Amino acid sequence: MSAIVEVKNLKKYFKTGKGVLHAVDGLTFGIEAGETLGVVGESGCGKSTLGRTILHLLDNTGGQIFFQGRDITRVNKKQLRELREDMQIIFQDPYASLNPRMSISETIAEPMVIQGKLGKAEIEKRVFQLMDTVGLARRLLNSYPHELDGGRRQRIGIARALALSPKFVVCDEPVSALDVSIQAQIINLMLDLQENLGLTYLFITHDLSVVRYISQNILVMYLGQMVEHCGADRLFEAPLHPYTKALLSAIPEPDIHRKKNRIILKGELASPINPKPGCRFAPRCLYAREACFQKGPELREVEPGHVVACHFAEEIQKEENG
Amino acid sequence: MSEKLLNIEDLSIHYFTENREVCAVNHVALSLDKGETLGLVGETGAGKTTIALGIMRLVPNPPGKILGGRIELEGENLLEKKNSEMQKIRGAKVSMIFQDPMTALNPIDTVGDQIAECIRLHSHVSRAEAALKAAETLEMVGIPRERYGEYPHQFSGGMKQRIVIAIALSCKPELLIADEPTTALDVTIQAQVLDIMNDLKNKLNMSMILITHDLGVVAEMCDKVAILYAGEIVESGTAEHIFDDTRHPYTIGLFGSLPSVAGQKRRLTPVAGLTPDPARLPAGCKFAPRCPHRTPECGQEEVALREVSPGHWVRCRNLEHVKGRE
Amino acid sequence: MNPMASSPSVEMEEEIVKKKSLWADAWSRMRRNKLAMFGLFLVLLILVLAVFAPLIAPYHYDEQNTKIAFQFPSLAHPFGTDNYGRDILSRVIYGARSSLMVGLVSVCVSSSLGGVLGCVAGFYGGKVDNAIMRFIDVVLAIPATLLAIAIAAILGPGLFNAVISIGLSNVGRFTRVVRGAVLTVRGQEYVEAARSINANNFRIIRRYVLPNAFAPMLVEFTLNISTSILSASQLSFLGLGVQPPMPEWGAMLSAGRKFIRDYWYITTFPGLSIMLTVYGFNLLGDGLRDALDPRLKD
Repeated sequence: MSAIVEVKNLKKYFKTGKGVLHAVDGLTFGIEAGETLGVVGESGCGKSTLGRTILHLLDNTGGQIFFQGRDITRVNKKQLRELREDMQIIFQDPYASLNPRMSISETIAEPMVIQGKLGKAEIEKRVFQLMDTVGLARRLLNSYPHELDGGRRQRIGIARALALSPKFVVCDEPVSALDVSIQAQIINLMLDLQENLGLTYLFITHDLSVVRYISQNILVMYLGQMVEHCGADRLFEAPLHPYTKALLSAIPEPDIHRKKNRIILKGELASPINPKPGCRFAPRCLYAREACFQKGPELREVEPGHVVACHFAEEIQKEENG
Repeated sequence: MSEKLLNIEDLSIHYFTENREVCAVNHVALSLDKGETLGLVGETGAGKTTIALGIMRLVPNPPGKILGGRIELEGENLLEKKNSEMQKIRGAKVSMIFQDPMTALNPIDTVGDQIAECIRLHSHVSRAEAALKAAETLEMVGIPRERYGEYPHQFSGGMKQRIVIAIALSCKPELLIADEPTTALDVTIQAQVLDIMNDLKNKLNMSMILITHDLGVVAEMCDKVAILYAGEIVESGTAEHIFDDTRHPYTIGLFGSLPSVAGQKRRLTPVAGLTPDPARLPAGCKFAPRCPHRTPECGQEEVALREVSPGHWVRCRNLEHVKGRE
Repeated sequence: MNPMASSPSVEMEEEIVKKKSLWADAWSRMRRNKLAMFGLFLVLLILVLAVFAPLIAPYHYDEQNTKIAFQFPSLAHPFGTDNYGRDILSRVIYGARSSLMVGLVSVCVSSSLGGVLGCVAGFYGGKVDNAIMRFIDVVLAIPATLLAIAIAAILGPGLFNAVISIGLSNVGRFTRVVRGAVLTVRGQEYVEAARSINANNFRIIRRYVLPNAFAPMLVEFTLNISTSILSASQLSFLGLGVQPPMPEWGAMLSAGRKFIRDYWYITTFPGLSIMLTVYGFNLLGDGLRDALDPRLKD
């Protein structure tokens, strides 16, 4: 199997007044065609920046991006146009990501109008087809976003992303702004679409229960770096990184009988601006030792398909078991 | 037997705009004992926040209007209080914290002074005493007293929410109403804040109404739960009733919407459709149009709450046909 | 497989949704705002007066008859007559022409110039933005009226020059407002969404930025008309604006001020006209602002 999307040592830095912000700092991973990679992390960990950098909505600072085996780290305008037909994005906020002055049909037709390959009648037909696919009633054709609820708006956003039949879709917290029952409807829709259209997803979220449900593999980010990457079930059953452990233990579960040993982390997220050397999680880590503050951990494959960035992952695991 | 703190009966609150009447809260009844935590659960527009504002008597008027009912705090009906009396009750006996800590703090005043101000407003203490108490309150929520003189922007989101909690608790209220207090926070920070809230609740022997849409938070925090749908309570009872013996089809749908962390991979089973427009509620059972178990009668007459086991109330006429969650 | 199978969308109400744009929405909201509608009424009234002045005015604006100078308001001359025996009502009606002309045309000047500058500054940002806005800061440091007087003094008196000088003096204000509006829109996620589907800058400005930045621009446009009318009266009052015998409210005030102790009506009616016109445009502008603000949606 070959990865449809692959990044190697990807970096995206922003210059700010206070220094250089390391939003994405040396990420390496691949996504197999037809699968979903979940990216989790707390606000400010760089997960949204990651998605936008892969799509060239932001320029990368360093590293390499491959799409279907082709190096797309540097592309010219024409290549970018072609690339965007294959790579799309669904945004978090269905209120902000739709132009309030464009009707539903205009919004869904827009990518095809810009592409300029289809005639007017064909576009109209395709708009109807897309509306059916995402479960929007045809009578809403001429409605404007402000007349619709969040769930329907998100369906418009999905239809727009699907208009050019992409292969790879970055989903940037597509359900976080929605009520739970609407959220479930949209998740089901996205799973159906993946099954029927063979889509590959990069699913960015802070909601861990959603990410386990929807992804085959999960990547955990902390302050711009990846701390753990493995199969979804493996991550939930046997997390290795202390941050992942704390994150998982913090999920409030809708079950009154399961009493968990909650790991309450001390302190708050540090700033990713001009980060100090050493492990970025060390100041909050329960197991941090002198070495952690000296040298940042390398990513290590501790078992097949399970990558973790912690000097003492195995030791901590043994301690806990024994 | 524990003492009853809050008792709400038949509370209705509607919003009147030029051409529509939004029925935000309809005939809600709730009760809360001392030291208990009640979870108010519902989706956007279910009327959770309006109930809270009703208890605080802070429903914006116009357009909001409390149409009727009683809100009794320690036996006294808050709806009959004068505004000046309410001002004394707010903050001292009942406090409220909101979802967004950023807007609840005054950006040009130090956090310590904001807490001290609240203390001085409700008790006759000197400036120095208030400052001392404020510093203690800060430490209570886990913020070192050295940070007394700092301004809100110098704190992170989770810390700000803790300061808001400190302000709300500075006068040791009997009842704390928390409106989605952790929705804007990250999970690890949410865990910290919930931890502190639970801790303080026990320490101060407060009662708490926790408004949330997150059943996970409810499972962790609440003794009692009331599920709201379209301004009505559709199911209420102890946490055990709601989580182990779910009866109402809407509550079942809510649970069906949640991906389980335990990781089963079948499709989610959410309720179909959308919440009704609160200005045009359907006749009869408000949930009937979306209910998989509806019968023709459901859409005709109002459905009353039924007590299915002591303390467990459900608003559904076809309970016999509704299978619970497995 | 049917992708709808597990993502049902139950439609609760089956009425067909009509095409109802934000503008239709805004209009229905504004219709409920009595003050705004009064403002609109005043503006329309003055517009009608200006357009149909020859039909409405009982006399020609320059019809002099010294025999009936300084007449008190009567049935024949409802607003009285001035020192040359001209009918004040007719002059006020004709005066609406110059005032509105100056107001509208000068705002067109300032809005087109300020619009382009603001749009460029807001959309492209960076050095371009810095260069434009620092220049605008300098311009804005000079009081608009003083600037208008200075430009008018250089260009010389006359209606056309007055329009130009007032227009130029308001460019700064406009640039700021447009830049602010464009900046807000540019940061919106739907602009990023447009980029992700390959829309180029021109399309983004035309289809995304301008339509969404239009509301604040329109409000500024309306409010600016009233200040421009005021500036025009000030210029005319100083003799730099419309030249006699063309009637203009500011000029009428200026000419009548010598007689204000004995014949108050010579100055009162043109003054009232200025006030009502400015009031009308201000009410309309405020009403538009409220109607177009999506946060005030019910």
